Amino acid sequence: MIKIKDLEKYYKTEELQTIALNKLSFEVKQGEFIAVMGPSGCGKSTLLNILGMLDDSDGGSFIFNGEEVINYNERKRANIRKHNIGFVFQSFNLIDQLTVFENVELPLIYTGVKKAERKKKVHEVLEKMQIMHRRKHFPQQLSGGQQQRVAVARAVVNDPKLILADEPTGNLDSSNGNEVMELLTELNNQGATIIMVTHSEHDAKYSHRIIRMLDGQKVTENSLI
Amino acid sequence: MIRNYFKIAWRNLLENKLFSAINIISLAIGLCASFVIGLIVYYDFTFDTFHSGGDRIYRITSNFKSLEKDFYNSGAPIPLGTSLKSTITNIDVTSSFFTMSPASIKIVNTNQKYEYLEKTIYADENYFDLFEYQWLAGTPEKALAAPYEVILTKNRAKKYFPTLNPEQIVGQSLIYNDTIPATVMGVVANYAKRSDLIFEEFISVKTFESSGMASIGLDNGWNNTNSASQLFVKLHENASVTDTQEQLDKLAKEHEDKRLAEFGMKRKFYLQPLNDLHFNSDYGIFNDSISPASKPVLLSLGCVALFLLLLGSINFINLNTAQATKRAKEIGIRKTFGVSKNQLVFQFLIESLLLTVVAAILSLLFSSWLFHIFSDIIPNDVGFELFANLEILIYILLLILIVAFLSGFYPALVLTRFRPVLVLKNQLLPSNNKSSFRKYLTTFQFVIAQIFVIATILVSKQVNFLINKDMGFKTEAVAYVRTWSNTSIDKRLRFMNEIEALPEIRDISLGGNPPASNSTISDVVTCFNGQKEIHTELQLLYGDQNYRDVYDIQLLAGRERLNDSIKEYIINESCSKVLGFENPEDAIGQVLLLNQEQAPIVGVMSDFNQRSLKSKIEPMALVGSWHRQTFHTIHFSFQDQNMKSWSDAISKVENIWKGIYPSTTFKLNFMDDTVQQFYQEERKTSLLLNWAMGLSVLISCLGLLGLVIHTTERRTKEIGIRKVLGASIMRLNLLICTEFISLLGIAFVIAAPIAWLGLNKWLEDFSYRTDLSWWVFMLSGIVMLIIALLIMSVRTFSIVNANPINSLKTE
Repeated sequence: MIKIKDLEKYYKTEELQTIALNKLSFEVKQGEFIAVMGPSGCGKSTLLNILGMLDDSDGGSFIFNGEEVINYNERKRANIRKHNIGFVFQSFNLIDQLTVFENVELPLIYTGVKKAERKKKVHEVLEKMQIMHRRKHFPQQLSGGQQQRVAVARAVVNDPKLILADEPTGNLDSSNGNEVMELLTELNNQGATIIMVTHSEHDAKYSHRIIRMLDGQKVTENSLI
Repeated sequence: MIRNYFKIAWRNLLENKLFSAINIISLAIGLCASFVIGLIVYYDFTFDTFHSGGDRIYRITSNFKSLEKDFYNSGAPIPLGTSLKSTITNIDVTSSFFTMSPASIKIVNTNQKYEYLEKTIYADENYFDLFEYQWLAGTPEKALAAPYEVILTKNRAKKYFPTLNPEQIVGQSLIYNDTIPATVMGVVANYAKRSDLIFEEFISVKTFESSGMASIGLDNGWNNTNSASQLFVKLHENASVTDTQEQLDKLAKEHEDKRLAEFGMKRKFYLQPLNDLHFNSDYGIFNDSISPASKPVLLSLGCVALFLLLLGSINFINLNTAQATKRAKEIGIRKTFGVSKNQLVFQFLIESLLLTVVAAILSLLFSSWLFHIFSDIIPNDVGFELFANLEILIYILLLILIVAFLSGFYPALVLTRFRPVLVLKNQLLPSNNKSSFRKYLTTFQFVIAQIFVIATILVSKQVNFLINKDMGFKTEAVAYVRTWSNTSIDKRLRFMNEIEALPEIRDISLGGNPPASNSTISDVVTCFNGQKEIHTELQLLYGDQNYRDVYDIQLLAGRERLNDSIKEYIINESCSKVLGFENPEDAIGQVLLLNQEQAPIVGVMSDFNQRSLKSKIEPMALVGSWHRQTFHTIHFSFQDQNMKSWSDAISKVENIWKGIYPSTTFKLNFMDDTVQQFYQEERKTSLLLNWAMGLSVLISCLGLLGLVIHTTERRTKEIGIRKVLGASIMRLNLLICTEFISLLGIAFVIAAPIAWLGLNKWLEDFSYRTDLSWWVFMLSGIVMLIIALLIMSVRTFSIVNANPINSLKTE
C-alpha cells in the first residue's frame, strides 16, 4: 500500500541545515499495523506528516496505492488525503466551536457525502465509540479520553484505508490509553492499515511490526507476529 | 455545508464578543453614513428624470460677462422665444412661461378669496406639449391657447374646490386680482415623481397679455432680462447641442445691447440641460424656500461615507488578521481533513458577510437617528421610506456584498495560508510581516481621522471668524420688516410713524434692502474724474436720510442728502477709490452718469460688507427713493442693547402691523440673523465635519482598542516576566503604547500637509479668512494623541497592574 524509498527531508535555518529524514526506505502492506518508535527529534513525526501528505519531502520516492505522489500539488494531495487517510493526534485537535457530532461530520462534508447519509454514518461511528450520548457537547465539555474517542471517530468515519496516529495516548492516563489502543486494534482487525508514532513500548506491542528510527534513519525493524 | 459555515460564523461571533462588537459597530457606522448619504445622492439625482425625451429638454438662460464678473439669469428676453421658432432649426417644441403669481384669486362659486398664492405661472399653449402631465379632466389639446383659461393641478384644485371632483371643476370660474375672470379648462395630476417643476396653477399667457397684467413690469425688449420670463425648448431627436448653441450665439450677437457692449458687457444665451436644473446655483430653482443641490457637496458627502466605510472595513481586516493565530488550529484541522483553499476562503467570506449583515441591520436603526440629527441638512423628503424603494434595496444589498467581500477577502487569504503541519504542532509563531500590513492600515485610519480633526478645528475657527467679524455697520439690536411691494406708500409711512412713537425704538428708517443682503441692485455708472472717463458697476442701496443712523454707518466726507427723493449720491469709500479719488473729500461734487441721468456725489460713507465675507466690498451708493417701490422696508434699532427687553417692543410693532396690514403675516428680521444666514452653508459644513470627525475618531479608536487588547494578550507573558524583573508600570505602559504612538506620529506627518492643502483651497473661497495657524495643527495632533492614550490606557493599565504570577501560570 505504501512504498517509500530514499525519502529525504531537511529543515533549514539561516545558519544550519538539520536532516530530519535521511534516505529512509520501507514498505507497508494493506492491513498492517505499524508502530514507529525512536527518541525525540529522530524524524518520526516528520515521517508521519509526509505519509499523511501534510508536508513535502526533499527527495526520494513515495508510492501510495501504486501512485507516485511525491510531486503532487496541494490540491491533489488534499484530494487523496480526504478520501483515504484518517488522522489521530496526541492533542486530539478537535475544533472547539463545533459539537462532537459536527467535528465527526467534518470529513464527510469535505468528501461531499449527502446530509442524511452523513447523519447515519456519524451516528454509527459514535455508537461504536460509545460517545453517542455526548454528541451535542462541545470538546471543552469532555474528558481527555472522550475527546480522543471523538478524534478517533472522526478519523474513521470516512472509512479510510490508512489511519495515521501521532502518539494517540500521549495525553491520556493508562486506562483511557488502553481503551484507545483497543479501538485502533479493532479498526485494524476490520481492515484498516494503521501507522502509529509512539514513545510507549506498551502501545507498540499492539502493532504487528515496530520500526525504530534514529537521526532520520531506520535502525531496526522487528516483527511481532 | 453553507449552514455549517453560518453556524460556525455565528458561534465565533458570540465567542469573541468584544471583537465582534468592535467590528460590527465600526461597520455599522460606515454603512449608516453610506445609507443616509446614498439616499441623499439618490434623491438629488432623481429629479425630473421621468419626462419623455427629457434628455432633449433645455432651458435657455442668459449669462452676462461684465468688466469685473459674470452674472447669471435663469430668464431669457421675451422676444427670444418667438424668434427661436423662425431662426433655429434644431428645435422641436418651444415653451415660454412667466413665474409671477397674481396678487389675489377669488373662487366665484364659493366667494372664497386667496392672496399671494405661489407656484402659479402664466404659460403658453406649448407647455403641456413639452412637459407631459396626466390629465384627470380636460384635454391637453389646445390647452392654454386662448386668454382667460386656467389649468389646475389636483392639489390646487382640491384647495379651491374641496367638494368637487375633477370633471365638475372644469368650467368653474375664478377671478384674478379682483378684475380678471378665468375658467378652469382642465385638472392634471401632480407629478408623482420628484420634479423641480413645482407649479400648481397654469394661467394662459394670453390672459396676461390681454388683461394688461403685463404692465406689472415685464419689458418686451431684447435688452430686458427678467428671471420671471422662462424659456424651455425640446430639441429634435438627432439635433446637435453644439450646433444649437452656435445658432443661439449668433442670435445673441445680432441682438446685443449696444450700450452694455460699450461698457464691455457681453450677453450669451445658454442651453441649460433639464437635469442640471436641480444642481445649478447660478440660476436657482423654482422653489425659493430651498437651495439647489450642490454636486461638490454631494461629492464630499460621498467621500465622507467612503472613508467611514473604509475605516470600518480596516478594523475588520486588522482585528481578523490579528486574531488569526486563534483560528489557526481550526484551519489546520480542516485542512488535514481535506478542505480546499477555496472552501476555506468561502467560509471566511460567509463570516464577514454575517457580520456585515448584522452591522447593516444595526445601521438601519442608526439611520433614523441620523436623519433626525441632520434634519436641517437633509432635504425634507429624504427619509426612511426611501428604503422601501426596490432600486435602493438592490444598492444596499450590493453594498453589503462589496463591503463583506472587501473586509473578508484579505483576512481569508491570510488565514488560509497557514500550513497545517506547523499549526497542529503549535509551531506557528506570531509573524511580523502580516502585522506590518496591519500597521499600514492603522496608519491610514489615523491619517483620515487626523485630517478630519484638523479640518473640524479650522472650519469652526473660520465660521466663528465670519460670524464675529465686524461687518462695518451695526448688526446688533437692529431689525427690519418688509412690507408687500404693492401696498401704498402712505400705509408704510403710517406704519413707520407709529413705530417711531414707541419709547423702546431708537432710530427708524424707511428704505430698501438692509446694508448686507443677498439681493442687490446694480447698474453701470460713468464718471469723469478730471483725467479720464471711468465706467464701474455700482450697487444701489435705497434708504432715507435716517438710514445711516439706524445702521451706524459713518460719513467720511461731505453731507447727508437734502431730502429723501433728491437725486444725490452718497458713495462708499471703495467707490471713491475705484473712481480714482485718493481722498474721500475729492469725490464730493463730482457727477455720476447713470441711464443718461446725471446726479452729484454729495457724501462718502465708510466701507461695509454688503454680502457674506466670501465676497469683497464692491462700489456702492446710498440713494433716495428715486422710483416708486424702492422704499419697501422699515428698519429700526432698539434703545436697549439687551435682547430681553425687546419682546414687549416686538409685540407692539406686531400689533401696529396688524392694524395696518390685517390680512398678511408679520415677519420681523434681525440683522444679526441675516448675517448668520449668509453662512448657513459653512455652518452645515461645520456640523457635518464635527460628525465626520467624531465618527472617524470613534471607529479608529475602536480599532486601536482592539489592536491594543490583542497586543496585550499576546504579550501577557512578556509583561509578567518584565514585571517580575522590576519594570515600572509607566515603563510597561510605554512599552506597549510606543508601537501605536509612533504610528500616530507618522499619520500626523502625512495628514498635516494634505489637510493644509485642502483647507487652503477651501479658504480661497473667502475674501476674508482666518489664518491657517500652526496651532490648529498642533492642537489637532495633541487632541488625537490624548484620545489615543486614553483608549490605550483603558487596557494597558489593567494588564500591567495584574499580578504577574497569574499571567506566568497561565502560560
